[in-house]
Amino acid sequence: MKKYILKRLLQIIPVLIIITFVVFCLVYVAGDPVALMLPEDSSESDREALRQALGLNDPFIVQYFGFVMDLMQGNFGTSFRYNQEALPLVLERLPATLELAFASMVVATVISIPLGIYSAKKQNTFGDLFITGGSVLGKAMPNFWLGIILILFFAVNITIFPVSGRGSFMHIILPAITLGTGIAAEMTRLIRSNMLEILNQDYIRTAKSKGVSNSVLVYKHAFRNSLIPVVTIMGLQISHLVSGALITESVFAWPGIGQLLVQAVNGRDMAVVQAAVFVIAILVIVVNLITDLIYRLLDPRIHYS
Amino acid sequence: MSEKLLEIKGLSTHFFTENGVVPSVNNVSFDVNKGEIVCVVGESGCGKSVTSLSILQLINKPGRIVNGEILFKGTDLTKLSEREIRKIRGNKISMIFQEPLTSLNPVFTIGNQISETIRLHQNVNKNQAKMKTLEVLKKVGMPNPEKQYYSFPHLLSGGMRQRVMIAMALSCNPELLIADEPTTALDVTIQVQVLRLLRDLSEELQTSIVLITHDLGVVAEMADRVVVMYGGEIVEQNNVFDLFSDPKHPYTKGLLNSTPKIHQLDDSLESIEGNVPTPANMPHGCKFNTRCPFVMNKCREEQPPLIDADNGSEVRCWLHLEKEAVSS
Repeated sequence: MKKYILKRLLQIIPVLIIITFVVFCLVYVAGDPVALMLPEDSSESDREALRQALGLNDPFIVQYFGFVMDLMQGNFGTSFRYNQEALPLVLERLPATLELAFASMVVATVISIPLGIYSAKKQNTFGDLFITGGSVLGKAMPNFWLGIILILFFAVNITIFPVSGRGSFMHIILPAITLGTGIAAEMTRLIRSNMLEILNQDYIRTAKSKGVSNSVLVYKHAFRNSLIPVVTIMGLQISHLVSGALITESVFAWPGIGQLLVQAVNGRDMAVVQAAVFVIAILVIVVNLITDLIYRLLDPRIHYS
Repeated sequence: MSEKLLEIKGLSTHFFTENGVVPSVNNVSFDVNKGEIVCVVGESGCGKSVTSLSILQLINKPGRIVNGEILFKGTDLTKLSEREIRKIRGNKISMIFQEPLTSLNPVFTIGNQISETIRLHQNVNKNQAKMKTLEVLKKVGMPNPEKQYYSFPHLLSGGMRQRVMIAMALSCNPELLIADEPTTALDVTIQVQVLRLLRDLSEELQTSIVLITHDLGVVAEMADRVVVMYGGEIVEQNNVFDLFSDPKHPYTKGLLNSTPKIHQLDDSLESIEGNVPTPANMPHGCKFNTRCPFVMNKCREEQPPLIDADNGSEVRCWLHLEKEAVSS
């Protein structure tokens, strides 16, 4: 087990190298930052001098290695916009993003597990059709639209929740629902189809022949077996939440990495873009590793070597 | 020894599929006495498994018991509520299935799965259940039960898994054990061990066994009485000695002839011509008439009844009824 974790941690290194390359390419093709850094009436010779000073005239490879060397020292450069080091700026936003991701997963889990199980137990009844139909709707609604509608109804028309920002517990509810709905829809369908398959397994019949009650049958014998694919999807969705909460964070002015990233892209604040992408990549890797370790706890047949 | 433990009377179980009704089991009646081992024999699809699942009301939708009574010590199991039948499952009547790997839940330890049965039916705490589990594991010949208690099913061999299934089934000292092809998925050497274990435990605990099988070797080894099924019906019923020495139904004869005999190795192996008809195109009249070497016109017109032959045996064949008519 320890050996496996160590192996997985070592695998992060090549992944990180590739990420640095991609991140650097992104910035390289994004264009000349000098135009934004100097006033509009600056002369061409001033610009050229700045380019020279920043090393922007060096060959691609030289620039890339310079970038990697800086990264190794934890130096992502300085944000023009905030006039601060980029990495601390991003890390400062990390708790807000993680908080929202966690809250969304809670919303998704609380909705999807009971609905998915109910749907499987009552296959092809009205309730099942209603839930599966509803999950199509939930998956089809775009986040930005749902976010705006929720704000309109529950923060403007009826002022239960604050419109935007982060602070109290009330602030997180609308964005968490916005993000959680789509995930809940996907997980509901997954749990349903999984449970249906598992309820037909031989070991369910064995348990039934032992005199186990229906609820123990479903919640102990079947549900535990259906969790493995569910955890896979949850892991994927968390990665998605960390990186893809851009729109929701913008709609709710949630001060997370997503919002920072959108602002940085708009302002061509490339040091921040690089740092944010880098941090998100590491989060995704860590979440994947945790997911793989959870499999081991859920299914004794899985062995790591 | 002739106390009746289980009486199945006119059991019919049908499956209501989208393509019409499939009558898997039709008007099946047989008894199981206390301490007796009854073998139900037949080819795949003859309804023997459905019969065994019907006893404990384990038929899933779209299947349903449409007719008949299943009396267990006088109580009709088909009339019981879900809650009442649960008290009988695993406690008074328990089951062993064919494939021990898929029949055990992969994510729970075997100790957990056996003690679950004990805790369901007996008023014991966790520790006592564990002691009883270890006891029953020892009884089925599981080596090192204290260690294996914490094993997951995938770590055990096929034979050991089936021992776990047997331990689970016997953990509450049931009066009746239904074993649905318990040795089919096992190696031949392991088969013998498992069968001997079942027979010894049945003698020791006075448990009756309904053994579902297609293997006549198993029947010869285990059975007191044999029920032969074909096309969802009983075609012959007799004690094991008479059935092997004097089979009455042409199907039983065919089954016995198609078993290899060690002293007749020069002959090529006989077989029953044709295939089992699917429930959708069961022939009119006797269901065996498409494959029967002694088929008569009457067989194609009318279904023969199950008639009492000598020594308490039963057979469903016009050939036999004709004979009786001639002799009387």
